[in-house]
Amino acid sequence: MRILNLALNDLLQIIRDWKSFLFLLIMPVIFTLVFGFAFGGFDTGDEEVDPRLPVGFVDQDQEQISPVLFALLKKSDAIRPVTFEEDTTLEELERIVAEDELAAMIIVPDGYSESLPTDQKLKLIIIQKEATSAGATVQNGVQAAVNRLTNSISAAQFSTMIQAQFNPFGSQTDQDAYFDGSLENAVASWDAPPFTLISTQTGAEEERAEQPNAFSHSSPGMMVQFAIAGLIGAAGILVIERKSGSLQRLLTTAISRTEILIGHFLAMFLMVLIQFTILIGFAAIFLDVGYFDAPLATILVTLTTALFVASMGMLIGTLAKSEEQVIMYSLIPMFILSGLGGAWVPLEFTSPTFRTVGHFTPVAWAMDGFQNIVMRGMGLESVLMPAAILLGFTAACFGLAVWRFEYE
Amino acid sequence: MSNRIAIQTNNLHKDFGEVYAVRGVNIEIQSGEIFSLLGPNGAGKTTVISMISGLLKPNQGDATILGHSITHEPLAAKAALGVVPQEIAIYEDLSARENLMFWGKMYGLRGAHLKQRVAEILETIGLADRQKGRVEKFSGGMKRRLNIGIALLHEPEVVIMDEPTVGIDPQSRRKILDSVMELNKQGMTVFYTTHYMEEAQELSDHIAIMDHGEIIASGTHAELVKIVGELDRIELNINTESDRVMETWKNTPGVEKITAENGQLHLLVNDSNLVLPQLFEKAAQVGSRITSVEIQEPNLETVFLHLTGRALRD
Repeated sequence: MRILNLALNDLLQIIRDWKSFLFLLIMPVIFTLVFGFAFGGFDTGDEEVDPRLPVGFVDQDQEQISPVLFALLKKSDAIRPVTFEEDTTLEELERIVAEDELAAMIIVPDGYSESLPTDQKLKLIIIQKEATSAGATVQNGVQAAVNRLTNSISAAQFSTMIQAQFNPFGSQTDQDAYFDGSLENAVASWDAPPFTLISTQTGAEEERAEQPNAFSHSSPGMMVQFAIAGLIGAAGILVIERKSGSLQRLLTTAISRTEILIGHFLAMFLMVLIQFTILIGFAAIFLDVGYFDAPLATILVTLTTALFVASMGMLIGTLAKSEEQVIMYSLIPMFILSGLGGAWVPLEFTSPTFRTVGHFTPVAWAMDGFQNIVMRGMGLESVLMPAAILLGFTAACFGLAVWRFEYE
Repeated sequence: MSNRIAIQTNNLHKDFGEVYAVRGVNIEIQSGEIFSLLGPNGAGKTTVISMISGLLKPNQGDATILGHSITHEPLAAKAALGVVPQEIAIYEDLSARENLMFWGKMYGLRGAHLKQRVAEILETIGLADRQKGRVEKFSGGMKRRLNIGIALLHEPEVVIMDEPTVGIDPQSRRKILDSVMELNKQGMTVFYTTHYMEEAQELSDHIAIMDHGEIIASGTHAELVKIVGELDRIELNINTESDRVMETWKNTPGVEKITAENGQLHLLVNDSNLVLPQLFEKAAQVGSRITSVEIQEPNLETVFLHLTGRALRD
């Protein structure tokens, strides 16, 4: 109970400070609109930037099925296939992925088309970096396309078999032509399916009614950036409490040191959570950002990002000796983490080195999580890794704060 | 006054690295009394209080509050204790009432009882009509009163006050001293630290004098004054530099101690009537003239000067 009272006391002080509203709500809304506008948020033209992950596509098969697979991949919300010559060497393909020129490489092996209608199906070869968010996204996107392809082939096979029973084909050429036509129809039917397929394996199957707009990037970016800026007020309370002697006075009551730490942490967490909830609601309702397309995923990324920001607030409040230092310790990381983490410009538009460095920051993982939902239309599975990494950053910051916290 | 012991310290030690702050402090405060710890700034008073109130862990020794050890039963000890810190430890962005409500909850008060205690304390500290005003707009004296009020919310049997009158106007100071005596009348034990001799003298049943981390004397005011016997304290001002005059007066029969502070000379003498004429004469011999003289009856200042060779304000 004392923990909650302490947290509510912090929140009351935060509410009393007009700067809290400025940093937590007004500024992120303004900057979401400004950045969104800068990236064409109010435009309806054709020059919209493709937010999907670029992947290489090498067709060593050169038969009738591989172009169908390519067409299905092109329709993916998560990945964007880029063709490569079939004689490109494996070393070259691996280098391209290793240097982050492309998120992954899909190789359709020779004989793939022939093997699909049989029991000895060949598998696609995917070159990707291990244990990366982009890799998981690619896998989900490819899996979705392959599922559609194999289902379409099954449908075409079944259709051909039925046709052969009731109206036998005159020649093998007629049968192949009928199969090709059935396959084309089956693939096309995915564009307007008569039912909704909900897959538990991948969120990539979940279709968004609307394509992501430029606010889909600026909204999470500015939300995360100004959550860090908003720590000025919350972390400042810790410093003022220590300087005024209120912290020492708290220790003369029955509240324990652990309860004091948790109480302050809870206040910061609740502050960021309330901020995120308001801004997500605003962006979803007024800017058509697809946070509600995958509500569980949005909740998970929101919670883990709020936990990270709160733990960072604890660390700032612990290390800063004055209110001026709180401002400095909040704004400098805000600019560095936001810039490197892709809050201003999507990391997909940056160089491979910048992207790699960016992913050493928690903001990049928060952005990955939110973008998988609102830009790539993905689901819960796609945000598990970003959420886990954000929890790791939370543990590190909170651990440091506990270690360095001065009571005396 | 009952015979129950409210606070007892047993050989308390505290050091901060190489620096000794408190050395072997033994205090015994009876329930229902006002006990003052008197000493100059830096003597170690706040460190003693911090250890008793559970803020600092002693390197050695222990203290008990109403029989509860601060090291072994800290929660029980803290529950019996109200602490008024030297700093104004309140939340400036909140109102007086919000501060009291928050601290009341921290002391474990809830519901109607909490509201009742807050209303009572607001009356006691004279802030009932300003209860909704933000504390940041209060005067220093009002903040001090609120600082004290917070410590009284949970009706503790023992209150520790660490220099509660520092930096405030005489009127607010008077109010605080009156409220301390009023609390004591109601049966509360008060452990009071100060470097103002007059406060200790006016308030206290017992006084301990502290210097350089040690208790150098303790007892009632009368008992402490007896330490200096029949010595008189003389404060003098002269019209020249003090060094030569002090050197001359040092060997004057009847002069026990002599110190200088801010151009003023403090002397402890056996009989001021006999010594003063000699002081005038010797000052004239080295070209100095005494411009003012004040003879004081023995008091705590005299005791401190006698025990340490320094004035209390040094």
